[in-house]
Amino acid sequence: MNYLLHIIIFIEIYIIAAVSLNLISGYTGLISVAHAAFYGIGAYIVALLALHFHTPFMLNLVLAIIGAVALATVVALPSLRLTEDYFIIATFAFQVIIYSVMNNWVSFTSGPLGLPGIPQPVIFGWVVDNHISFLVLGGILAILAYLFSWRIANSPYGRVLKGVREDEILAEALGKNTMRFKVTVFLVGSGLVAIAGSLYAVYITFIDPSSFTIDESIFMLSIVIVGGMGNLWGSVLGAVLLVSIPEILRFLGMPNSIAANMRQILYGLLLVLFMVFRPRGMIGEKR
Amino acid sequence: MGRKGNSSMLTISHISKTFDGIKALNDVSLTLERGKVTALIGPNGAGKTTLFNIINGFIKPDGGRITYLGKAIIGQPPYIIARRGIARTFQVLRLFESLSVLDNLLLSFRENRGEALFRLYFSPCSVLNTEEKNRTKALELIQLVGLTAKVSEPAKELSYGQQKLLSLAMCLAMGGDLLLLDEPVAGVDPEMFRRILSLIEALCRDESKTVCFIEHHMGAVAEVADRVIFMDDGKIIDDGTYQQVAKSQSSLRAYIR
Amino acid sequence: MLPQLLINGLIAGSVFSLIAIGFGLIYTTTRFFHFAHGAVYTSGAYFAYLFYIILHIPAYLAFPLAVVGASALGAGMELCVYRPLRRKNATPMVLLIASLGLFVILQNLISLFFGDDIKSIRTAPVEVGLPFLGARITPIQITIIVVSVILIIATALILKFTRMGKALRAVASNPQLAKVSGIEPNRTILFAFILGSALAGASAILIALDIDMTPTMGFPALMMGVVAVIVGGVGNIAGAAAGGFLLGIALHLGVWQISSKWQYAIAFGILLVFLLFRPQGFFGKRVRRVSL
Repeated sequence: MNYLLHIIIFIEIYIIAAVSLNLISGYTGLISVAHAAFYGIGAYIVALLALHFHTPFMLNLVLAIIGAVALATVVALPSLRLTEDYFIIATFAFQVIIYSVMNNWVSFTSGPLGLPGIPQPVIFGWVVDNHISFLVLGGILAILAYLFSWRIANSPYGRVLKGVREDEILAEALGKNTMRFKVTVFLVGSGLVAIAGSLYAVYITFIDPSSFTIDESIFMLSIVIVGGMGNLWGSVLGAVLLVSIPEILRFLGMPNSIAANMRQILYGLLLVLFMVFRPRGMIGEKR
Repeated sequence: MGRKGNSSMLTISHISKTFDGIKALNDVSLTLERGKVTALIGPNGAGKTTLFNIINGFIKPDGGRITYLGKAIIGQPPYIIARRGIARTFQVLRLFESLSVLDNLLLSFRENRGEALFRLYFSPCSVLNTEEKNRTKALELIQLVGLTAKVSEPAKELSYGQQKLLSLAMCLAMGGDLLLLDEPVAGVDPEMFRRILSLIEALCRDESKTVCFIEHHMGAVAEVADRVIFMDDGKIIDDGTYQQVAKSQSSLRAYIR
Repeated sequence: MLPQLLINGLIAGSVFSLIAIGFGLIYTTTRFFHFAHGAVYTSGAYFAYLFYIILHIPAYLAFPLAVVGASALGAGMELCVYRPLRRKNATPMVLLIASLGLFVILQNLISLFFGDDIKSIRTAPVEVGLPFLGARITPIQITIIVVSVILIIATALILKFTRMGKALRAVASNPQLAKVSGIEPNRTILFAFILGSALAGASAILIALDIDMTPTMGFPALMMGVVAVIVGGVGNIAGAAAGGFLLGIALHLGVWQISSKWQYAIAFGILLVFLLFRPQGFFGKRVRRVSL
């Protein structure tokens, strides 16, 4: 039973990650492989604050979001001036650089050894220390993230995002400051995924850089693609699918040694198959 | 020169642009008057679209000045120039292909409070308000160009002529006073041709919009243009009424046709 | 110290050059970033392991066969995935995402079949380097530089004098004109994949002879290749080679002052500087990105 709850909590974490990435990549067309870096920043900020200053979770969460947004600004302002294929390379570069910092700035982040013993959250008296409580916390955060994103996606602002994706030159010629839209959506998406990272940190109570590599970014991108770019509900379904299917594989008795590889192969296969047969994703964009 | 109110909308002075050693524009100067329709004609490669791209802000000229309603616009980003009131269509038609006709139009309005994130969350009522107003205006424009039946269709499902009408409607939605149209009737059937031309005429007559259009179709030019500018090789060769230009460039006219 | 750093930089640089040239050839003909190139690279070393260590085929046969294997894999990706996608008018983004998928699949297949531990295809015991101009260099390392230079020159000759090579250069500089002149883009692209993948496979074998192999060796190598291509100038094969050598030397000089664990961060820092201030690299042409 706990195992099932564990899966659902992870689904909640990835719903937040996918929905936020969908805003950036699905709606605006900015394919980014740096999302895991901001996920990691959120996790590290919450972990370090809780471990060194014993500040409450809600405060840490807010600071994590602010920290991620600040870093996202550094990434976004130069990179968004590039064309789309160079933008991806820039996000690649930032992902590697941020990961290097996590891994190598040992005095600050403990490097590859990671940060163990992250205190579990206490929110206004509610002690979150068992699976059910985390499920509820995760559920609340996921729903809030989803609603927040939904408001953006289905608004005039969201319409401009889609316009930027379809034809940025036309959007500019119509009077839209496309740079402003691209930067703000990137900041919003990065701030949101920091929430997912924060949840991850206090749930697992241990983080290390290996959870925030480019593989993780590609995994998040896969969820968005499989679920359908430009469809938030699709991201939810995609998260459910991509998180649970490998667990099913493990259930079928696949030995652990090959399970990790098989899971990755599965993600890669999904990416390729969807690109070839159904680039719009499972559901495609909402009309 | 300006009489009651400034009658010159756009003043282009000594614009030059070189690409990879080829002089696309060579010391071009001209002034567009309010409420008039000007046609820009000439062989391919004469620099007409380049001139549009420079006015619009997508390309920076090597030298020269451009003022719109008295204010300089060189160096401004395209979106600011658009907001000042200059609308344009593109030679290779540009639309938001997978978005509906309605969405395409809604994206063309200058004012939409819902496009600011802050307002989305903190003043939802004003967002709803402007959205409603824009929706009404959009539907009116869609009716004006006769595309009501296609309101919810994605733009890529429209016929070529309908797409041209849509892009014209989008220029109107922008609310600007200067329209730069790049080949507005190229490739459309006779019925669409009529519709687009009468729309252009109505714009200048009823709403004193200023129109400058690039065209190769001399019939359209003869019919609506108050003034014709002939360009070749990056320079203005001739400037006058259609009859004047046609007579003095008669051999070239044959080769354009 | 300096001569050793330069020598090390040259060794690393020669491998980066091969990867960069291969990657660059594919990019200039297909106009998308074939990230799976990193996994094709890795496959070269593992094919060598398969043929030489497991099947006991003699080295002088096993290694060229391994290069053929890598080349076949790259060509296979083009034929089975990229070409069908292009037929469906896929955007470069779609191709790129498919490429990421292929990378993940191939790398994990290698991990699955061979295991994650370090494998070796050394033909000789590890030895202290021979003294050379104040530095030390092992025979293997000399081989790496020499073979790389030979391969670079061979590639340059192929591009300059063979019909396919000339077609490749034509498609790279002006695809529409090339098509109108009767050059078939699909065959040229396939040739780019065959040649580029062969170079990648070869460079992996060379590196493996010096510092062994793991299934994840492809990703850092690919990163270096991408940096080299952009620094040297996209679309310019000689530039890619130059970029590779420059990057190798810059990294090793950089590592002199800063610990080597930061080398990827440094490399990508260099990349970002170029992307922002000189996107055409040292030798590339200013690319007009959007047509108006």
